[in-house]
Amino acid sequence: MRKGHEQVAPGSSQFVSAASLRVRLDWFNKLRWGAAVGVLLAVMVTGVWLRIPLPLGPLLSTGGVLLLLNLLYVIRNRRLAPVDISAEIRLVKLQMLGDLVALTVLLNLSGGIENPALFLYLIHVIIASLLFKGREIFQIAWLAILLFTGEVMAEYFGWLPHHHLLSASEMTHELPFILMTLASFCLVLLFSAYMGASIMSHNRAIKDELVLRQQDLVEADKARMDFFRFVTHEVKSPVSTAQSAVETALELGGDTMSPQVEDMLSRSVGRLQQASRIVRDLADLTRSGMLKQEFLRVVDLSAMLTRVVANQSDMAGRTGQTVQLDLPPKPIVMTTNGSMVEKIMENLVSNAVRYNRPEGRVRVTLADRRASVWLEVVDEGIGIAVEDQDRIFEEFYRSVAAQEATNLGTGLGLAIVRKFVAELGGEVDLVSAPGSGATFSVTLPRHPKGRAAKS
Amino acid sequence: MSDRTILVIDDDIDLVEIIRVTLENEGLKVIDAQSGDRGLEMARQHNPDLILLDVMMGKVDEGFTVAYELRGNDVTKDIPILMLTAVVDQTGFQFDPAKDDAFLPVDEFLEKPISPRRLVDLVRKHLPASI
Repeated sequence: MRKGHEQVAPGSSQFVSAASLRVRLDWFNKLRWGAAVGVLLAVMVTGVWLRIPLPLGPLLSTGGVLLLLNLLYVIRNRRLAPVDISAEIRLVKLQMLGDLVALTVLLNLSGGIENPALFLYLIHVIIASLLFKGREIFQIAWLAILLFTGEVMAEYFGWLPHHHLLSASEMTHELPFILMTLASFCLVLLFSAYMGASIMSHNRAIKDELVLRQQDLVEADKARMDFFRFVTHEVKSPVSTAQSAVETALELGGDTMSPQVEDMLSRSVGRLQQASRIVRDLADLTRSGMLKQEFLRVVDLSAMLTRVVANQSDMAGRTGQTVQLDLPPKPIVMTTNGSMVEKIMENLVSNAVRYNRPEGRVRVTLADRRASVWLEVVDEGIGIAVEDQDRIFEEFYRSVAAQEATNLGTGLGLAIVRKFVAELGGEVDLVSAPGSGATFSVTLPRHPKGRAAKS
Repeated sequence: MSDRTILVIDDDIDLVEIIRVTLENEGLKVIDAQSGDRGLEMARQHNPDLILLDVMMGKVDEGFTVAYELRGNDVTKDIPILMLTAVVDQTGFQFDPAKDDAFLPVDEFLEKPISPRRLVDLVRKHLPASI
């Protein structure tokens, strides 16, 4: 596979990188195949079927040269990786010059000003406006005007032979007709160049704006994560030490404590445990660099899910729920950060149990889909309203129904799921309606794109 | 007085006091150091029976450096080490005691927040039997 070295374009060119220009070039080459084949077909139709006496040999040769040149361009693009943006831009200009010359030769061989194919110059101006910015579009337009005017004038003064397209027509020698045609041609091309330039510059402005907005969003998200990380770092030791202190006090106090004191200390332990859970979830959420090579291991996902489900079965049993686990016959094994995948499983299964109806059923399924692994967790619980379905993946968002159901949640479990799944290159889906349970499904690719770049 | 001495190396003074109260209540003697360097010095001087070592003092992995130096010194190389880790720093993302013991020279990890019962159990488990 070719990989583009991203290089910033100098000067006026619109392209961010040589690679992005190369994509357009490939498209340009495809277009030229069509053009060359079109020329050959047109020559067949006019020469053989319509029997218009045209110099078939030179026409076919010009079409052939165009085919050959395009083949050379394609081979060059396959062989050489795009590195230098200005070299690529020069090549595009050279190719366009070649195309315009070829078109002019073809026109000369097929009637010159008589041939309505003169409007094919317009296509080049349009292509130029897709490829370049203002100045270069006008350069192409002027080049087309120059070539065509030169060709027509050369025929008029007899420097180039004229091949009649229309029988016994003397139009090529009527100067007013020639001048009117040339003037209209010039006007159409320049106006197209102007329109192309302004429409495209408007489009590019919108695109630049979108890119900037996107960057702002990414930066805002990073700032938010940095803030969370900072808070987590500052809070974790005090919370942890306070919890140790209160637990130690409870332990040391033993029977000498009054029931009220013991009750207060127990409440403190409970609240501190809750704070610890939030700190732990925040730490997971803000952790970075988890996909470094040294954290990747071969993980048996079937065994991992079995363990996660077993850990939740106590909690499920207390409310009479059953947890059904469906595993494929062959264990699913993949190289990944096991802690991240385990956290995804844990959070989804514990949520399902936590928000299920008493005596309800939780169905957990793991399946191998060749290029990816698929995990589905279905419950029969309170469900999630449509307007909450996006928001529950946000940090600290808990729906009213969830808050009424339990105070155990930190509001971070699904945010962690979303973040880890995204980092592993996967997708998470949710189907739910209030009162009729929820189905969360996660797809994790076996070989995430860009994994190598991260390690 | 007990002749069993536990060295606690941790820069969280409150946590050191919590550990001291818990262990002294069990009849053990507790000495402490608030930095890795001071901890190494005290380990060589007092030759404690067990060391409780915080993984994160000052630098992220100072505890590991201290553990390697303890293991590299003839006087201290056989002293059992319990490493204190915050659960948020670990959860398997950075190391896994079950898998990484080959290159982490500590005897056991003890997660913060420290439960007094678990602390006592682990200290008892790793204290060398008295002669």
